Amino acid sequence: MSLTINRHDAAAGPVLRVTGDLDYDHAPDLRRYLDELALDEGQRLVIDLAGLDFCDSSGITALLAARRLAHAVGADLALSAVPAKTLRVLAVVGLDRVFTIHADSTGGG
Amino acid sequence: MRRVGEEPGPFDDSTSTHAAFTALLEDSAEDLYEQAPCGYLSTLMDGTIARINATLLGWLGLERAAVVGRMRFADLLTVGGKLYHETHFAPLLRMQGEVRGIALEMRAQDGNDGRLPVLVSSVIRHGSGGEPLLIRTTVTDASDRRSYETELLRRREEAERARAEAEQARAAAEAALRQAQRDRQRLAEALAALQKSLVPSSLPAVPGLEAAVYYHTASPDRLGGDFYDLFPVGGGRWAFFLGDVCGKGPEAASLTSLTRYTLRAAALHDPEPAAALTVLNAVLHEHYAAAGDPRYCTAVFGLLEREGDDGRVNVRVASGGHPPSLVLRADGSSAFLPTPGGLLVGILPEASFTTARTVLGPGDCLLLYTDGLTEARTGPTRESLFGDDALLAFAADHAPAGPREIIEALTVLLKGFGDGLDDDTALLALGVPAVRPAPVPSTHCTP
Repeated sequence: MSLTINRHDAAAGPVLRVTGDLDYDHAPDLRRYLDELALDEGQRLVIDLAGLDFCDSSGITALLAARRLAHAVGADLALSAVPAKTLRVLAVVGLDRVFTIHADSTGGG
Repeated sequence: MRRVGEEPGPFDDSTSTHAAFTALLEDSAEDLYEQAPCGYLSTLMDGTIARINATLLGWLGLERAAVVGRMRFADLLTVGGKLYHETHFAPLLRMQGEVRGIALEMRAQDGNDGRLPVLVSSVIRHGSGGEPLLIRTTVTDASDRRSYETELLRRREEAERARAEAEQARAAAEAALRQAQRDRQRLAEALAALQKSLVPSSLPAVPGLEAAVYYHTASPDRLGGDFYDLFPVGGGRWAFFLGDVCGKGPEAASLTSLTRYTLRAAALHDPEPAAALTVLNAVLHEHYAAAGDPRYCTAVFGLLEREGDDGRVNVRVASGGHPPSLVLRADGSSAFLPTPGGLLVGILPEASFTTARTVLGPGDCLLLYTDGLTEARTGPTRESLFGDDALLAFAADHAPAGPREIIEALTVLLKGFGDGLDDDTALLALGVPAVRPAPVPSTHCTP
């Protein structure tokens, strides 16, 4: 049980590949990472969840924090390659219509 | 004396040993008196010293000439010793003819503050006519013994002190424990009072409706993040809600409290489920998210209205990010009551909530639950959760069931999860009794 975050930069903005668990113990890691992420107005931050094993309410809170941070600087946030299970949880709490969600890992553009 | 090389004969050997002992004894009588390892002195009956040995003179640092015939025994003693001699020693000696092992202090040239602790024994020697002639006295140096006694005394005082300190510490610890118990009691009372503000202590009696709840808090301080309520909103209508705030413990409890009272107040103003959740959303967003500390909850809010005269109850529910409620029908079927599209309450300034509707006939039961139930771990990994499908299957197994029956069955199920139940869990079941108190033949069909 761990969480690793790898970053690469696409044309539209940074892409964070999150691998492992977004749970009570590890979600704060993502939040800390986001706090130090320099994001410019008009950029699109993509969080790639293809490697996500587990996501609980703490993880969803972290994703909401990412969205809020992006919006605060006039940037955008998209989730990509959301695992079916996590997508179902997002649907239950109505967040599937709040987050911009891409099906694949390319990050859209 | 043997010569070297000469075998000692038995006779020769015993003779020379005997001779050596005799010489030793003859030689030592005077020497023993003078150099004995204790002090000797003889005094006249008035105490004047007539004879004193070298050992005692040495201890006292005195010359024989300055003592014999010039000093009395009492003159050798310290002031305290003299006093004791006058009041006890001398009278006792006169009375008994002898005293043994009396502790006195003599004046010494050096040593411990010029004082020599001694043990003194005296015996009166009588003449042939029985008249007392002189006093023979032995003096034993008791410095070691005295220091041993002093040491004993010091140790005893130390032990006394340690015991007193331990007693003090024990008293302090007991006082601290009593204080801690009082504090804990106060805290428990405060928590109980706070907990009472989060969920009703008992459900109200709703005419024509049966209700049952289960409430479990995972937090050791027993403040939950789950909440529910059931209350009248006028016009014979009743409102209910059940939900789950994000987080656990006291912070969650404060959010729970705000949520509960906001929903109750909103419902009195407008009991439409979507409207109540919209008010809660605005309040939470303004209170937390706008202040930079976003918090949210999921909630189901419902409104109960009597439908006709046959006991049927019209239920309208709206959900904000909450799992769908479950309906157990009198005919043994069961199904989720979907409330799609409801957003977590409090995360966005504007949120819309959709309302679903059903009718509960006699024997029908509506079950609301928090995800503590569906996310209870049923296996070794956190992937093995009880889940929606298992809940639906469980309901199908038990339907038809009244509120109390289904809550009891679920309570048994939850207890069986043991440590797997690591989240707050709230269950609320509302149903129309299957057996009407005054059954009226009905021509209506159940929906």
